[in-house]
Order: sequence, then C-alpha cells, then structure tokens
Amino acid sequence: MTSGSAAPVDLAPTRNASARTEDVSGRADPQRVLADRVDQLYSQMPLGMSAHLLIGGIATYELWDERSRDLVLFWWGLVLLVTAARAVLYFGYRASASKLVEAAQWMRWLAISALAGGVTWGFAGAVFFPSHTDEQQVFLAFLLAGVASAGIPAYAASWPMFAMYAGVIVLPFTYVLANFGNRLFTEIAVLVPIFYLINVGIAHRLNRVFLSGYRLRHAYDRLTEDHTLLNKQLEQQIENLLEARQEVEASGRKLKLFAERAPISVIEMDAKSTILEMNPAAEHMLGYSTPELIGRSALHTLFPADEATITPGWWAQFVARKAPANRVRARCLRRDGLEVDVEFTITPLVNEAGDLVSIIAQCQDITQQLEAERLKKEFTSTLSHELRTPLTSIIGSLQLVNSGVVGDASGEVSELVGVAERNAQRLLDLINDLLDIDKIESGKFALLPESVRLGDLVQESLVLNKSFADRFRVGLEVRGEVPDVRLHVDRKRLMQVMTNLLSNAAKFSPEGSAVEVSTRCIDGQVRVEISDRGPGIPDDFRPRIFTRFAQADSTTTRHKGGTGLGLAICKRLIELMNGRIGFDQRPGGGTTFHFELPALADVTAT
Amino acid sequence: MPERPLQRICYVEDDDDIQRIARLALERVGKMEVSIIGDPTLALDGILAFKPDLVLLDWMMPVMDGPTLFKRMRETDGLREMPVVFITAKASPRELDELRGMGAAGVLSKPFSPKDLPEQLRAIWRSLP
Repeated sequence: MTSGSAAPVDLAPTRNASARTEDVSGRADPQRVLADRVDQLYSQMPLGMSAHLLIGGIATYELWDERSRDLVLFWWGLVLLVTAARAVLYFGYRASASKLVEAAQWMRWLAISALAGGVTWGFAGAVFFPSHTDEQQVFLAFLLAGVASAGIPAYAASWPMFAMYAGVIVLPFTYVLANFGNRLFTEIAVLVPIFYLINVGIAHRLNRVFLSGYRLRHAYDRLTEDHTLLNKQLEQQIENLLEARQEVEASGRKLKLFAERAPISVIEMDAKSTILEMNPAAEHMLGYSTPELIGRSALHTLFPADEATITPGWWAQFVARKAPANRVRARCLRRDGLEVDVEFTITPLVNEAGDLVSIIAQCQDITQQLEAERLKKEFTSTLSHELRTPLTSIIGSLQLVNSGVVGDASGEVSELVGVAERNAQRLLDLINDLLDIDKIESGKFALLPESVRLGDLVQESLVLNKSFADRFRVGLEVRGEVPDVRLHVDRKRLMQVMTNLLSNAAKFSPEGSAVEVSTRCIDGQVRVEISDRGPGIPDDFRPRIFTRFAQADSTTTRHKGGTGLGLAICKRLIELMNGRIGFDQRPGGGTTFHFELPALADVTAT
Repeated sequence: MPERPLQRICYVEDDDDIQRIARLALERVGKMEVSIIGDPTLALDGILAFKPDLVLLDWMMPVMDGPTLFKRMRETDGLREMPVVFITAKASPRELDELRGMGAAGVLSKPFSPKDLPEQLRAIWRSLP
C-alpha cells in the first residue's frame, strides 16, 4: 500500500519563496481553483471505471467456482450498477455548462460516487475473505491493496475523497481480519490501518501540492492579465509622455522665440545675482554680449556704485521675500560707461517646494521716456507761463479801466471793456482747466487734504459764485439744514468742483429761478446735491457727459460759454478724494448733480 | 502781526506791461509807495536802498529767477528778515500750495486782479508774526 508518490512533497520551497508563492497564489480565485480540482478528478473517471470493470471481471471469474454463485453474481451486479451510475455522472459532468459555478455540487456528487466505488470493494473484502485457499487469500488481499492505493493518484485532487474511498475498502476488511482468530491475520489487521493512515497522509500532502499548483496557475493567469493591462497602461503613458515632451519642446521653442524677439530685455539670474542668461534686447540695452556677462554678478557689474534703488541690501530682501517686484526704477551702467535709466520687473521663479530656482528680470530702457516726461513738464510749465503773462497785462489793464482808477469810462466803453475782460477770463479758465486735466491724467496730481466743515464749504461756494449767477439773474439757495460734519478734502479743489457745478446750473437755469443746494449724511457719506430748473440733459449726451470736451451742442456752448472740461475735471477730482459723482433728472424738470464724499467719522452728527 | 500798516512795496518784475499795471494797482488802488526793479541782478542793491516793508518777487525771470534771488536775499545782511511774496504765472491759483514752503511769506498767482492785489498783500502782511 505504500507508493512513491510522496516525491513532490520533498520539493519544499524555501521560506522566502514560499512566502512569495503564498503571496502570489493568494491572488487566485478560489472558485476557479475548486473547479480545476473537480475537473482533474472527473478526468480520472474513465480510467477508474475501466479499471473497476476489468478488476471486477477478473475477481468474478476467480471467485465463480469457489464461492456462492448468488453472492458473486450479486457483487458483480453491484460493480456494474455502480460503474453505470458513475458513467452517467461522468457524462453528465462533461455535458454540463455550469462546471465553474456548480463546482461544489459536482464535487459532492463525485464524493458519493467515490464512496459507492469504495463500498463495492469493501463489500468484496468483507464477504469473500477469508477464502478456502491461501492463493485466493493472497489474490484478494493483493486486489484490495491495489484498488485502495490506486485511489491516491485518482483522488489526488481531494484527499478527503481518497480517505473516504480507501476507508470503506479497508475498514470492513480489517474488521474481518481482526475477528478471524489467526495470529498472522490479527497482525495484518493492526498493520492495515497504519498503512491506511500513511496513505491518507501522503494523499493529503499530494493534495496540497496539487492545490498550490492550481492556485499558482490561476495566480499566473491573473498576473498575466494584470501584466497585459499594465503593459497597455505603460504604452499609453509613454505615448502621453512623448506628446507632453513634444508640447514642452514646442512651448520651449515658443518661449525662446518670445525672449529672442521681445523688444524688452530679459535677464535670468540666480539668488546671488549671477547672470545665467540674457536675450538680444538685453545685449543691446547694456552693450555687452551674452558670453561677456554670463557668470558675472549683476549687482556688481550692472549697477553703478551710487545706485540708490537696487542695492545689495535691496537684493537680499528681495531674495528673502521671494515676491515679485514691479516697476522698480534704477540706473544701469552700460559697457561703454554710459548710464541708462531702466525700469525693472523682477520675478522670482519658485519651485513647488518653495525654493528659489532663478530670478527673471524684465527691463526696459526708460531714459528717453524720462527725458520726454521732463521735456513735457518743462514745456507745460513754459506754456503756462507764456500764456498767463500776456493775460496778466490784458485782464489787469481792463480791470483798471473799469475800476475807474485811471479815469471814468463812459457807458459803452465800460460795457465793451467788460466784454473783453470776461472773455480774457474765459481764456484763463480754459488754460487752467487744460493744465489741470493734463496734470490729473499724467498721474502727477497731488491733493492737499485738510479737515473742512461742510457748512463753511457750502457758504463759501455760494459767496464765490453769486456774482456769476447774478449775471444770469439766477439765485443760489441752500435748502434745509446743513449737517454739522467735517470732510477730509482738498478745500480748493472741492471748491473748484462746487464752482463748476454751481456755474453750470446757473448757466442753464431760466431767468428768475434759483439753483438749490441741499446736503445730507448717509452711512458716513456726505451727499451734496445741486439742482436746477434748466432744460435737462439730452438723452444722447448723458453717457459722455463726464468725458473731456463733451458738450451737448455747440450752439448752447457758444451761447453760454464753457470749455467742455469742467465736468471731466469734477469727476476726476471727486474720485481722487474717494468720492462718487453723478446726476439725475429732476421731477418737475431740471437736473440734479450730486456727489458723495466720506465724512470724518469722529465728529459726525446729523 | 506787524504794528504799522503795509506801506512800502518793492516789486521785482521783468515784464514792462505788468510793471505798469502793478504800479497803478498798488499806488492808485492800494495807496502804497512802490519801487519796481526790472533787472533781478540789480535787485539786492535796489531793495537795500528802498528799504521796503515787503518784497514782491516774480518767479520766472531771465538771468536770475525768483527763488535764486530769494536765496541771495537770505544771505545778505539787512535782507535776511525781509518778508517776501512770490508772484508766478507758472501755476494756477489752485496749485500755489505746492510752491509754498520755501520760507516765503506768501505766493500769489498771475494773472492777478489789480483791484484785489493790495488787499491780498495786506492780508499776507497781517498774517506775519
């Protein structure tokens, strides 16, 4: 009953390999492993059944004359019946479409069939042994040992099935041997269970080898699938990477082109201001070729010793802060020793970890621009002087004539001198407005804010504009209480706004009517409203009323006088003082211009 | 505020027409004694000789401008404490504040009103310590 089938067990894998095998085989699908085992077991059936019939036939022939023919015939019939049933089971399995899903069920059926097969041999052992002749006894013992041990390879895929099959063969046989009373037979009866247990042990180990084989196979399948998938993903990634590389190369070429063809200078430096790279515009601006400057310190090479903006201290702070610096103006030293005024935009290039990679400086030579600004300022200043000087004489002379200090002028002379004086004054207003708007728009306008009482402002504006309004026979009136608040504003500039709005309102008011000024406080804002009963603002003029040289129509202007700059200046001045300006149509005809300015919080009272 | 009223004015101005108007305004309207100096390089001697209460200085003049003359006055014995008022066509009345702070008693703009000029100067005079 011993066999050499224990050999594979000796191939015990090393510990590490085993761990790896378990790790890998753990990935096998248990259901598939079971189905494989069932398939292996069923594949053994034709051989098993054939052997069954052959051995059963030989045994029947051998026992025919010696034993009760009825009993032998019954046993032969049993062998045929069991074999037929097993054949049905076998073909049923072969034809089944649910081998995988119902593997456990097929396993159970096979176990029953193995049990039935074992029972037929157990029956033979119990009934036909001992025999009349020693030869026959040897034959029977050999037969039983043979069919029992043949079960090891046949049921290698399921050791419990083997244990059951061999058990029902040897147990009745052992029982008969033990109870016969012969000493030799008793000894054999002791040995048979030992052989049985050894065989079951071997079957168990063989079964483990089979199992791990199946598991490995399926794990391998799974791994192959995974591998194929990974391969595909890898291929896709490689493709993506290639595309990305092409894009990066393309954008790299584009960037290079941007830098090379850009009219502004680009210089790349490290944290110590060592020049790493620069573009042709930078070469042109500084008079150096790129190889001459690469590796040299920008701080020591490009900036004169007395440069006050970009100093080593400034640079250290910039590198520490790692924040972009915009519109930094500094003087730069060219290779030929000339100094140029340069405006820098300096940007630190920081990686994801927050470390400084390099520093990009984009810069522009603004020497000419500064010179142009200086010339323009000088020109404006000269123009202003040259225009005002003759007006001083004209207005002064006319005023002196009309004041009577140089003798009385007759009615018509006085009237005409008045006309000349008013128009000279208009010319002066225009010059002032033009210079104002130029200053505001060039950003060189400085306000001189002070704390002013709203009431004083309103009163002063009425006094200043009274004579102008009188000319149009229009009154100026304050409606309601003026809140006792103070504003933080440029008094003269706010007076300019009030004068503009009041004189506009007076100009367009019908004779005999009054321009109304009302004031109130809303949410910390002071609102001043100046209302007239004029013809209102034409629809098409409303959107551009605050733009420069905007006038409703030239007839009106010629008639009423004005530069077309007043409201544009008002809007800019109010905005410079953090306020808002606007206008509304007035119910009952006319227009209300209004502006809002922040009140000084500490003394607000309504 | 000085105890005596403003009486003697010295005006340094290169433009002949403006000189004439200023003289009329200050003498006829303001009833003041006026000395006009047309050449700023001669101004220091002229002012020292005339001994005015107050000097009116044009800002922009050829050869020597107002601010330079003002500096010279501050370096000259007898003129260090002399009140000086600048008058300029460089800026509009609204911009004058930017030109203050040079130590002048005041700044007036051109064109000036001949009717108002004497009173403007008296107001500055009254504001002096």
